[in-house]
Amino acid sequence: MDALFGPVAVIDIGASALRLVIANIAPGRPPEILEQASRGILIGRDTFSSGRIGPATMDAAVRAILGFRRIMDGYAAIMSRAVATSAVREAANADIFIDRVRTRTGINVEIIDGAEESRLTYLAIRERLAGHPSAGADHALLLEVGGGSLVVSRLERLQPRQSGVYPLGAIRLRQSLASWHGRHEQRVALLSRHIANVVADIGREVQVAGATEVVALGSDIRFVASQLDAGDEIAILERERFLEFSAQIIAQDEETLVERYRLPQVSAETLVPALLIYRALLLQTGATHLVVPDVSLRAGILVAMAGGSAEPALSDFHAQVIASAQALGEKYRYDVAHAEAVSRLATQLFEALTGEHALGRHDRLLLQVTALLHDIGAFVSVRAHHKHTQYVLESSEIFGLSRDDMKLVANIARYHRRGLPQATHLSYTGLSREDRVRVQKLGAILRLANALDAEHLQKILQVRLTAGEDVWALELEGTGDLTMERLVATSRADMLTQVFGRRVVVHGAGVDG
Amino acid sequence: MSTTASSTPPFLNRELSWLAFNARVLEEAANKANRLLERAKFASIVASNLDEFFMVRVAELKHAQAEGERRPGPCGMTPAEQLTAVSERAHELMHELYASVTGDILPALRAHGIDFKTIDRVTEHQRAALETFFHDDLLPVLTPLAIDEERPFPMLASLTVNLAFWLAPAAGQSEKRLAVVQVPPRLSRLIRLNGREGYEFVLLEDVVRLCAEALFPGQVILESSAFRLARDSEVDPDDDGRSFVEALEAELRRRRRSSVVRLEVEDSVSDGLLALLMRHVHVESDDVYRVPSPVDLRCLMSLVDLAGFPALLDPHRLSTTVLTSDEMDDIFTVLDQRDVLLHHPYESFDPVVRFVELAAADPDVLAIKQTLYRTSGDSPIVKALTSAADSGKQVTVIVELRARFDEARNILWARRLEEMGAHVIYGVRDYKVHAKACLVVRRTSQGVRRYLHLGTGNYNDRTARVYSDMGLLTSSPKFGSEVSAFFSALTGYSDPPRFSTLASAPHTLRSRLRKLIDREVRRAREGQDAEIRAKMNSLTDVEMCLALYEASRAGVRVRLNVRGICVLRPGVPGLSENITVTSIVGRYLEHARIFVFNNGGEPEVYLSSADWMTRNLDHRVELMFPVEDATCAAKVAAALDVLLRDTVKARHLDANGVWRLGSPAHDTPVDAQAFLDELAIRSAPSADDTRFQPLTGPGAGG
Repeated sequence: MDALFGPVAVIDIGASALRLVIANIAPGRPPEILEQASRGILIGRDTFSSGRIGPATMDAAVRAILGFRRIMDGYAAIMSRAVATSAVREAANADIFIDRVRTRTGINVEIIDGAEESRLTYLAIRERLAGHPSAGADHALLLEVGGGSLVVSRLERLQPRQSGVYPLGAIRLRQSLASWHGRHEQRVALLSRHIANVVADIGREVQVAGATEVVALGSDIRFVASQLDAGDEIAILERERFLEFSAQIIAQDEETLVERYRLPQVSAETLVPALLIYRALLLQTGATHLVVPDVSLRAGILVAMAGGSAEPALSDFHAQVIASAQALGEKYRYDVAHAEAVSRLATQLFEALTGEHALGRHDRLLLQVTALLHDIGAFVSVRAHHKHTQYVLESSEIFGLSRDDMKLVANIARYHRRGLPQATHLSYTGLSREDRVRVQKLGAILRLANALDAEHLQKILQVRLTAGEDVWALELEGTGDLTMERLVATSRADMLTQVFGRRVVVHGAGVDG
Repeated sequence: MSTTASSTPPFLNRELSWLAFNARVLEEAANKANRLLERAKFASIVASNLDEFFMVRVAELKHAQAEGERRPGPCGMTPAEQLTAVSERAHELMHELYASVTGDILPALRAHGIDFKTIDRVTEHQRAALETFFHDDLLPVLTPLAIDEERPFPMLASLTVNLAFWLAPAAGQSEKRLAVVQVPPRLSRLIRLNGREGYEFVLLEDVVRLCAEALFPGQVILESSAFRLARDSEVDPDDDGRSFVEALEAELRRRRRSSVVRLEVEDSVSDGLLALLMRHVHVESDDVYRVPSPVDLRCLMSLVDLAGFPALLDPHRLSTTVLTSDEMDDIFTVLDQRDVLLHHPYESFDPVVRFVELAAADPDVLAIKQTLYRTSGDSPIVKALTSAADSGKQVTVIVELRARFDEARNILWARRLEEMGAHVIYGVRDYKVHAKACLVVRRTSQGVRRYLHLGTGNYNDRTARVYSDMGLLTSSPKFGSEVSAFFSALTGYSDPPRFSTLASAPHTLRSRLRKLIDREVRRAREGQDAEIRAKMNSLTDVEMCLALYEASRAGVRVRLNVRGICVLRPGVPGLSENITVTSIVGRYLEHARIFVFNNGGEPEVYLSSADWMTRNLDHRVELMFPVEDATCAAKVAAALDVLLRDTVKARHLDANGVWRLGSPAHDTPVDAQAFLDELAIRSAPSADDTRFQPLTGPGAGG
């Protein structure tokens, strides 16, 4: 007999709705959706206008989750994950909200950031679009209009190359005009102008023009797909048909939409802003249609929870993160060869020290990303470029890395040269103790790896590290004279010694090329 | 007379169409080919139908008129014109009904030993017994109410039988006095007399009259007349913070006080007494129905239960079951392998009851969710749900309390379920939950699976013996998720979902039906063979009719089987010449809603709880679901086909709104209900577990 697979529940607390999905998951099988539920509650309307979740909204949300709980109980769901995105994340009283949900419903809500959101969503897209013609496009655009934010990614054969999260969600936009009382047409004109400005900004970060496929996600575009009978799992909306239909929708005010399409009020409120965003971006591309797969953040979480197929997904995911880091590097005109060399050497050191640092695969990924990008501050100024790198990274987006990840990456990069962490380094001291240790360990490895390519000539091909009682012997293999590398490495092993308590002795084994 | 698209309004009047339906039922009462007690039953149904018609439909027309509505409806008539026409037709019907009952059915019953006696025909001995009965049992519960300047006319309950007594003027006065006595509604209307053999009855009101002097001692009774009022019954629960049940209980009280829409009175009444009654209950002469005794023919229904007359009733047939007894004990395993389609009453309702019972007893079942509407009080389903809740399963029941005239009964069992730990939802605001669905969530080795029953009729094992309905048992995951979401929406845990497989009113059913009709239209315009076959209880929605007219004009063949009201005018050149409408009134009450769309030769078969009435499509919670399993779909389509080909019971609607029996069949007559009866017996699995084999039509089975 097969193992008993219990169903799992995923709750997603978004800006315009709370949603629940219940699914059977089993290793090696795609999740089987048992039930989906949603309650339209505009948390975003509160957060994006007043910065807080109002008491009535909080009550409504808690009641909705209590209802979800009843649904989950009907399946005896064995495992659940509840996540909240921008509308809760940006609320000043997010902690109170999460605490109240936990007290009243027993459900622990976890706040995830935009990057984690897009990573999870991406997992679902990849699964759904596998084998679909759009998966083969060299330049596809992935758009997700949520209540609080817009995520735009450039995909190359389904691999994300560039990605950005923009504060252009449907609820956020609507709230920006909340106190403004004008005719519907004027409202649409104002929204369009604002969207046009943001879209122009997006174009500078993510290559929008020239996309041949546009993959669109979000409940508003799903509504359009259902209205046009465009298909279920992967709906295809022809460009002209979409433009024509969305123009019809946009011309109607909320009351008319509720009446005509029997939409819940909350859906009617987000529909027009969302469609304006999709239109604006579609018109920048040459795509002949929109691909609307039936996927969501929740579906991605399910894929992630399914576990069994997670391993191949992880290496794939790492490749995407690296690709996204490389794209960021290109933006700041990094020295590709040096960056790659440092990344390679840092990885070798990381592997060699596996027994010593007790860090995991995700940390290795952070190290690789940092190694690729440690010098990008030089774009601003070569002087004190490690400090420039730090703040540039802190305000950048890398696909698949969370805000917390980016803080780590920025700190690790900061210590690739010059001063070691000090109590006066605010960004560093703002980290948790665990993360500070992580920065120390990874920073030490990066510092040494960078020293090994001090001349940016990629002379060192291989490092070997032999751990003795209190001395680590580092053996360098490379081409040409490695004296310089040996000297610099010896001096930059300072942090490694401080962190791991071992003296580092560097031996050169140069081979003339 | 020819009817063309331009000369007449495109719609028939729905009230007259309803009366035409009741006339068809009356034809069955008058039809000597039917067995005598079945005829009495039909007569009783006609009477009871008319009661409801007055309380609901006539009341609504009167409202419209009172509110000054002068615009004509889709049929081209104003409310006032409709009231006049309805009154005229209803008077004719009542006349025909009594002609049949008093002139034919009652005399025939007497010949069989069932005798309705008037007081002048009872023996001395019987008279003495009646007097004893009156003084011992009746008098204590009677309250004569005198009516004069100080004492206004009492608020007599709707549909109860009352007696009006006209008394001689009091000493020194010149005016005759009026008094009213309510005949106790809780006592049996028919009082059985002791006799040698057979049954002899007198009417309860006649016993009261016999001993009326005891009610008015020392007074002279000039005249007495039985009468009955029908009142406006529109339920309009207001939302003032009371629980819905409380509101409904209050509404039941209020209903007794609402305005009178019809006065029935014995035809022996004098003009003077009648005028007095009319003045007191505020009715016009159009609303008065003078009928022979007995008023209120619903009492005929109780004759059906009399012992000893099997020959006067249709033979009681044991409905066959489509599952073997082994399968009945293991329905979930059956459903893991295939869908099961049930056609009641030809096929037993037992599998549905068993399905719920098994779910209640199965330790792997986590939850049961069900809609309940007009279920019988001692229903085995309610019992199973109760025990399931008791054993800790999540039981969710959506109880519809607004089923007309059934409320008092509903509240009882709903309360009981709730006490037993089930989560009972008393309907949803503004919408009556009419969908029929039962969902079982069960843990299996493959994860959670859902098993469900969706149907066209209520979860009522009793009416399932008389109502012709269809139901589908399935474990289709698609259905499972959508029906789960449907329940979560009804319980308020989720916003209404958008379905891709099912359609639900009030959200998507109308637009889905439109799309299905439009697709046939498109195919017809492309020159493909296009056809819509649909069966429903009533067709009154103007938009749906217009869609069918458009289909007809495009060349789509539209074949409708509409039991009751049909406002669509078929066979009008340039409008509806490709539409035929038939109606079957027979032994079983046609109740299934079946829609089959030809779809270019790949027919799609749907079942639904909804009629094509505005009420169902916009103001109720309904479901429509496709029958996807090929065997089940073929079975549904074949049954519909038989019903559409009936040549014995089917009446055909013409362009003028007249229903006629079809011309005598050119070949073998087809009595659809009888055929389906036989088909079910032939198709039932025998001991060696024969599977159901659908026949594609009458005669096809050899």
